[in-house]
Amino acid sequence: MKNVIIIFLFLIIGFTTTAQEKENKPLRIIAIGAHPDDCDFKFGGTAALFSEMGHKVKFLTLTNGDAGHQNMGGGVLGNRRRKEANKAGKILGVEYEVLDNHDGELLPSLEVRNQVIRKIREWNADIVLGLRPNDYHPDHRNAGIIVQDAAYLVIVPNVAPDTPALKKNPVFFYMNDNFQKPYPFSRDVAVVIDKVMNKKIQALAAHESQMFEWGPWTNGVKTETIPENSEERLEWLNNKYNGRREFNQTELNAIKTWYPSLDISGVKNAEFFELCEYGYQPKKEELAQLFPMLNRKNN
Amino acid sequence: MKRLLLLFQIICWSILSVNGQNNNEEIRIIAIGAHPDDADIRFGGTAALFAEMGHKVKFLAITSGDAGHQNTGGGALARIRRNEANKAGEILGVEYEVLSNHDAELTPELHIRHDIIRKIREWEADIVVTHRPVDYHPDHRNTAILVQDAAYLVIVPNVVPDTPPLDTNPLFIYVEDHFQKPNPFKKDIAVIIDDVIEKKIDAMSAHNTQMFEWLPWTRGISLEEIPRDSQGKKKFLENELKRRFPEKKAFDEEGVQAIRKWYPSSSINRINHVEFFEICEYGRQPTDAEITKLFPMLKTKK
Repeated sequence: MKNVIIIFLFLIIGFTTTAQEKENKPLRIIAIGAHPDDCDFKFGGTAALFSEMGHKVKFLTLTNGDAGHQNMGGGVLGNRRRKEANKAGKILGVEYEVLDNHDGELLPSLEVRNQVIRKIREWNADIVLGLRPNDYHPDHRNAGIIVQDAAYLVIVPNVAPDTPALKKNPVFFYMNDNFQKPYPFSRDVAVVIDKVMNKKIQALAAHESQMFEWGPWTNGVKTETIPENSEERLEWLNNKYNGRREFNQTELNAIKTWYPSLDISGVKNAEFFELCEYGYQPKKEELAQLFPMLNRKNN
Repeated sequence: MKRLLLLFQIICWSILSVNGQNNNEEIRIIAIGAHPDDADIRFGGTAALFAEMGHKVKFLAITSGDAGHQNTGGGALARIRRNEANKAGEILGVEYEVLSNHDAELTPELHIRHDIIRKIREWEADIVVTHRPVDYHPDHRNTAILVQDAAYLVIVPNVVPDTPPLDTNPLFIYVEDHFQKPNPFKKDIAVIIDDVIEKKIDAMSAHNTQMFEWLPWTRGISLEEIPRDSQGKKKFLENELKRRFPEKKAFDEEGVQAIRKWYPSSSINRINHVEFFEICEYGRQPTDAEITKLFPMLKTKK
């Protein structure tokens, strides 16, 4: 009888520790963009929320962004942007890695695919975020294809055998875009990011060459209209991005689904994610586990 | 008047002979998968039916499958898989060819497109079968792109001029998958394969490294859970087929409609295994009557 009780006790202890491990084990997320700043724009707020909750986030860009400027370029610009990215990463609490493929020349080659497979494996990712293969920049489209191609192959030991394969295919998501063809972005997950919007703006501001030089230039904004000191710049960026876009109906529906008890009229900023069919397919309750900021008690 | 009669006679003869030819005409099918076993899993039953009726079926794997295992790989694995494929081909009554492109590294390059154009032409294919360009494995997607790119170009003499072009663009069809974006698989054609399901499962079993080692491993099934005796293995594969396409057990609405369309007098409840196909827009666009000619098993099934 004593034995039975002891076994029973052991069983209970065993169960609680695995449950705890599951609950306490930080999630590992890798977001993969084409250029330094892509992940910040589309995932910066959610990344900051993950990070604040103790989860591990990495941003990876497949090019070094060395074509993204009107007056400079090449390795000089690449290194400038790498520094900017590191600064942004510190603000968001994420690791930032910039690969050295050339900006404006990204192709879905096997070399880059294998680079991505290695990075996903090394990060031991539970969640991988990528771009959709339809977007305005060919680098974005090709980055999207490359990440899709890594899905599943990350578990195949004979592929990139120098880096141990993952045991399980991670869950793959796409970061938001507004393109309609061949089908519009499906807002499967919505994350309200108002709490961390300041951090996101600061992280964006860290990409100085983009926010205050190249981006405005491509939009025909006159340099004279852009403030020079950093406080004014933050405010300028804040006016540009913080709560400036009205949500459309599908976005509102997605927010309502994930925040049923929240007053939607008060929501100013949110990020949206689409589940990719090529990764592990989670059930709805698993989705909430993958985005723990969506649990009602954390809202 | 005499002349008119003669003309009439000639017309009659020619109609008769064309019809006669059609009745006996051999249909030539080439099923192109990314890996040795892809065609078997999704087209094996229909292939066996074609073969039993005397038509000529060829399976072509674009990669050697040399990455598809947890404990072996490279040329050694490719050799094993080529042997498995030949064994499966014998069971189904089809020719099986395995190209030597590396598994998990297939990209839609021109030289592979040209190989595929040659293979389709050499087989003088009436029907070409392949994946859709949406599927879980990049090799499947790229195979689909390569085969789609061969559609139409197989009739262009200036493309791959070392191999005479086909006179007409074949019918291109996709095998079933469950992916929804950008559009779900369309069940244009349904083929009931209950009569040959044993053959299909035997052919799948021939891919021993895949069915009982690698694929279970990727799904976290331990080797101990896999039956060792052939009867148990068959049962295991039958369950796998059901798991892959759950609607095979209870067909979805579109599936039922497709079955009714091609087997109007059949009773759905008695059907267990069906292979569905979607018609690709880039090949010949057949009428329903032409489909029953190209898939003669659709006429004979009661």
